[in-house]
Amino acid sequence: MNREGLFLSMAGEKLVLLERADVGKAIHRMAHEIVEKSAAPSDLVLIGIRSRGVHLARRLARKIEESSKLSLPLGVLDVTLYRDDRRQEQSAPAVSSFEAPVAVDDKTVILIDDVIFRGRTIRAAMEAVERLGRPKRILVAALIDRGARELPIRADIVGKNIETGDGQRVNVMLEESDGIDQVNITDWQRRGAS
Amino acid sequence: MRNVISIADLTNEEIEEIFSLADAADKLRNDRPASGQIMATLFYEPSTRTRLSFESAMQRLGGSVISCSDMRASSTAKGETIADTAKVVSSYADVLVVRHHWDGAVQAMAEHSGVPVINAGDGSHEHPTQTLCDLYTLRQEKGALKGLTVVVCGDLKNGRTIHSLVYALARFGANVVTLAANGMELPQYVIERLEREYDYAFAPVTSDDLSAAVTATDALYLAPKQPHQLALFTQVDEVIQARINSYASGLRYDAFYMTRKQKERMKNGANEGRYPTIGSEFLQEKRFQNTVVMHPLPRVDELSPEVDRDYRGIYFKQAAYGVPVRMALLKFLFDRRQEKRPEAKKSTAAYESPEAVGPQCRNSNCVTLKEPLSTCKRFEIYSIGQIGSLILGCVYCDHRFQVRFVGNVKTKRFYSYDNTLAETIREWLKTGELAIFDSLKQAEELGYEPYKSGSQRALMDEADIKRALTEISQQILHDCRDPDRLVILGVRTVGSHLAQRIAAEIETKRGRKPELGEIELYGSGDAIRRLPPADPDAAPLNLKDREVILVDDVIYTGRTVKNALSIIFRTGRPQSVRLAVLIDRGHREVPVKPNYAGKNIPSSEKDRVRVKLRGVDKEESDQVVIYSIITPNEKAKAPARANDLEAGK
Repeated sequence: MNREGLFLSMAGEKLVLLERADVGKAIHRMAHEIVEKSAAPSDLVLIGIRSRGVHLARRLARKIEESSKLSLPLGVLDVTLYRDDRRQEQSAPAVSSFEAPVAVDDKTVILIDDVIFRGRTIRAAMEAVERLGRPKRILVAALIDRGARELPIRADIVGKNIETGDGQRVNVMLEESDGIDQVNITDWQRRGAS
Repeated sequence: MRNVISIADLTNEEIEEIFSLADAADKLRNDRPASGQIMATLFYEPSTRTRLSFESAMQRLGGSVISCSDMRASSTAKGETIADTAKVVSSYADVLVVRHHWDGAVQAMAEHSGVPVINAGDGSHEHPTQTLCDLYTLRQEKGALKGLTVVVCGDLKNGRTIHSLVYALARFGANVVTLAANGMELPQYVIERLEREYDYAFAPVTSDDLSAAVTATDALYLAPKQPHQLALFTQVDEVIQARINSYASGLRYDAFYMTRKQKERMKNGANEGRYPTIGSEFLQEKRFQNTVVMHPLPRVDELSPEVDRDYRGIYFKQAAYGVPVRMALLKFLFDRRQEKRPEAKKSTAAYESPEAVGPQCRNSNCVTLKEPLSTCKRFEIYSIGQIGSLILGCVYCDHRFQVRFVGNVKTKRFYSYDNTLAETIREWLKTGELAIFDSLKQAEELGYEPYKSGSQRALMDEADIKRALTEISQQILHDCRDPDRLVILGVRTVGSHLAQRIAAEIETKRGRKPELGEIELYGSGDAIRRLPPADPDAAPLNLKDREVILVDDVIYTGRTVKNALSIIFRTGRPQSVRLAVLIDRGHREVPVKPNYAGKNIPSSEKDRVRVKLRGVDKEESDQVVIYSIITPNEKAKAPARANDLEAGK
């Protein structure tokens, strides 16, 4: 996977990174990689991080189910409550933010998000998974890896690596929520369609 | 003196005795047996009915009540441990009634209290008095409990009342059908316990019968093995499924026990519509005409108000029984104040770590993790080898987990657990020589050596290590945004020594020493502290907005780093955390990755890589070695006796 540096010449310009077909191909390849990295497909548990991570998780599950003829458990995780940058962390209610919990003991858990960037969401997600049980392994799958991590966390399965500046925003748009499959980069100030 | 922490603390006969006392509650009210006695209610979590019914019960018995309206705002806020609170308050009162948000907290308080303690709910663990009320209600409405079929519905995962109730129903020989909301099924350990301790069998039931309450939800049918001859089905084939279905459709449902839909656990309406509800459809169904509906209250909308007006809706009665039952329980405990607690006959053995640190409960809400100071490191050994593993249970929260590493205190050797060791381990347990570890790392930190290892090969010598650390230090400075905000944090113990060396390198380059601390994963005190020689007056390390460099010797599965990150983020919010390790040996189980690694080496899972530093554990020089660990069972057909193991050392 080649890492591309992207520079926007003008503020507000939108740069399309992945078109519909590219998104499809990337997901297809990621599904294969997930299967390759698991001991057995029956071992897999997918957990989507709200909200686009959940759409991705569903698509990945469908792909894997087509080839393996297995029905995969799919968990839904909302990470906002676990984010460490939430103010007044002390008073945050101790509620599980799993909307759809799944059994994870001795499983290979794939945490799925649309974009991995600072690594904070994934760290928080790992903590939430730990509350459910003790998986054999936890892997991270993301459609886009923006690099620039603030924590020592890696993405194991990546659709596309890109390097962006702090002032840029990567918008992953998926049909389920945005009516279109596309990944683009916009200037942070002028927020993208998402 | 007796405590009631779990419903298991009372025998069936004792429960019957309490029920007889409750039947005669009016007499108790006249006799005022608690006259001159004081009950203290300590509620760390809000509650209306449990607390009010306890207070009412005590006053009706002629006693009086002291309480603190909000424990969180009391001395707890000043940092008093629950153990101290229990000691102090037990000198003010004759009985304590406690509710706490940590699993196992009431057990911990009972260990420090001089008077009986009653659990009014501890985290998601147990709520025995609610269970007593539920059983009493069923007995009043339906007669004997044996043979009744009770459908428990809704949130079966988080509800503490449900777990207690299911165990109690099993003890009295009732059948249980579970009807869980999606994702809120009865936890596996509850089912396992029903199978093992109560000899229950279970099978999934997809039954149209329950469609009046819920659509398309699979129910689980739990029944005592004997009366119905149901085998334990691990794999349900169609024939068996059909049999169960026909059996289930012939069931007479005596009661529906609904649980509260806990809105806070179901965000954004994700599970709306899938939560079982009881309303007009249920009431019209002929087969439910003798089925009573119970609910611990408060309810949300899972019970329609129509049920209130129906003769089957008995939940207000159920709430009213709370007072006589609690009166009876208090009287029961007062009568037994002089009695020495009969040691409950347990089929399990107790384990207390002979080392300063030992295994930790895996339940993150357990009191042993939340406030280790108030607890002792005690576990029960549930099984050695019977089901292929060594299983420990936490005495506080009942959580069970598998053990992977064991050792012998005398020989200071550790072993990876294997069933061939079962016999030996039983012996060590008897002689007090058994040490149990959470990880290999923990065993090594305590000075244990592997049972047997292959020949050692050096990977790095003194000069290599020095060079690697210099390089890492340079990179750290190069990547760092603001060197003044650096904090070097070593993972105890070898990581701490490496952190010290890195800090010294940075000092030579910058002329100023970065702040230096260590993080202790298995300790019982502060997890993060400054490393000596620190100024004793220095404020505790504050990680907020700092650039933290986490230092460890070897990264392997990555779980250590993940745990360290959890501790760091619990303490404060750093601007960033980067990871420096001397050796990266692969085999990651969690998605963490070092930013700086002195050396990457391919290794097999049987290998062990150790960083030995001068001055640590009497080492005389710095070096990194690799060797393979040989477990006893790999050697010529498993020595099963302790002597053989000793001989093999």
